[in-house]
Amino acid sequence: MEDNPLHPFELHDWIPIALGGLDISINKAVIFMWIAVSLAAVVMIMAGSSRKLVPGKLQNLAEIMVDFIRTMIMETMGKEGMRFFPFIGTLFVFILFCNLLGMIPGSYTVTSQIAVTAVFAFVVYGISLVVGFMLHGVKFLGVLIPPGTPGWLVPLMIPIEIMSQLARPISLAVRLFANMTAGHVLLGVLFGMAISGGLLIGWLPFVFTVGINVLEVGIAFIQAYIFTMLSCVYLGDAFHLHGHDDHAH
Amino acid sequence: MPQFESHFFSSLIFWEVVSFAILFFVLYKYAFPGILGMLEEREKKIKDSLDQAEQHRSEAERRLKDYEAKLSAAGKEAEAILAAAKERAQRLLDENEQRMTTEAERIKGDATRAIEQERRRAIQDIRTQTTDLALMVAEKVVQRSLTDTDHRKFADDALDALSKSYQR
Repeated sequence: MEDNPLHPFELHDWIPIALGGLDISINKAVIFMWIAVSLAAVVMIMAGSSRKLVPGKLQNLAEIMVDFIRTMIMETMGKEGMRFFPFIGTLFVFILFCNLLGMIPGSYTVTSQIAVTAVFAFVVYGISLVVGFMLHGVKFLGVLIPPGTPGWLVPLMIPIEIMSQLARPISLAVRLFANMTAGHVLLGVLFGMAISGGLLIGWLPFVFTVGINVLEVGIAFIQAYIFTMLSCVYLGDAFHLHGHDDHAH
Repeated sequence: MPQFESHFFSSLIFWEVVSFAILFFVLYKYAFPGILGMLEEREKKIKDSLDQAEQHRSEAERRLKDYEAKLSAAGKEAEAILAAAKERAQRLLDENEQRMTTEAERIKGDATRAIEQERRRAIQDIRTQTTDLALMVAEKVVQRSLTDTDHRKFADDALDALSKSYQR
């Protein structure tokens, strides 16, 4: 069992619950999801309630995060994108805290579950479609024909663009899931080597483990950033149909 | 891979949606407005401070210009006063000089006239005395008496002849 590097990702029903035929049993991932959400809520509320003009450490951290998300939204969607700030902000905080919590040995990385990342990805993509059709109506189908496409290429471009559109949520989901999984698998393998290698040679993979751990903390931040950034880009595309035209003006 | 065990999907997705909704509500209600408000407040404060600094700077600049203008006006005024004083002094000097010159001319003229008068009188005196003297001499020489009118006539003729010969 210990030799299997995928062992830490296994789940077991701890408290079986069924809701009208739907299995909503509590498992390790759900518990750590709650912990991450609680931590995020506590940190953000504490930071938000201490309204000092010269911020303390916690307030500063939260303000940097909020300002970071705000800048991201402003750059990709413009001022009207600020309506999505609560959603994008919550998404970033949720993913970041899940990623970081997973770095604690013995905990569970919620974002290494494809089901979790896929729900976020499809919800984001679904919102972008709804926004696009609400703002532009049928003209939103124009995303399937990039500006400047010669007429004879249109029959070819439409299937290609449909594929690329479908790839958006899938790549969004797989990127986060795969990064989180791979990092932990690598750490698991290296740590297993450190244990089985003994003192003579085992120190080498152990040093790697420490190094990769630092790297993984960085990746936790970067993947949360990439996920929200791409969400902003997709939503921004829905806002500004053929955004490149808008920027050219 | 354990993550593809679809048995856990329903519970994971359910609790994810619930957790996300709760976190969304909590942050939307209690965290984001405060932090965003704080950020905006600070931005506004910084912007206000900058604006105020700019205002102070332009005010100071305006005052400096004001003072410079006043200073240059005062300098010009002083120059004008100095020039006026100089001109007045020059005028007084000129007037004085002219008055002195006139006075001197007058004094000189008076003196010249007085001298001329004195000279004439002296000449007259000399003439009268000379006549008397000549008469006395002539009386002694001629030993005869002539009328007084004759005397004068002779004397005058003689004198005229004398002065003519002298002038020539």
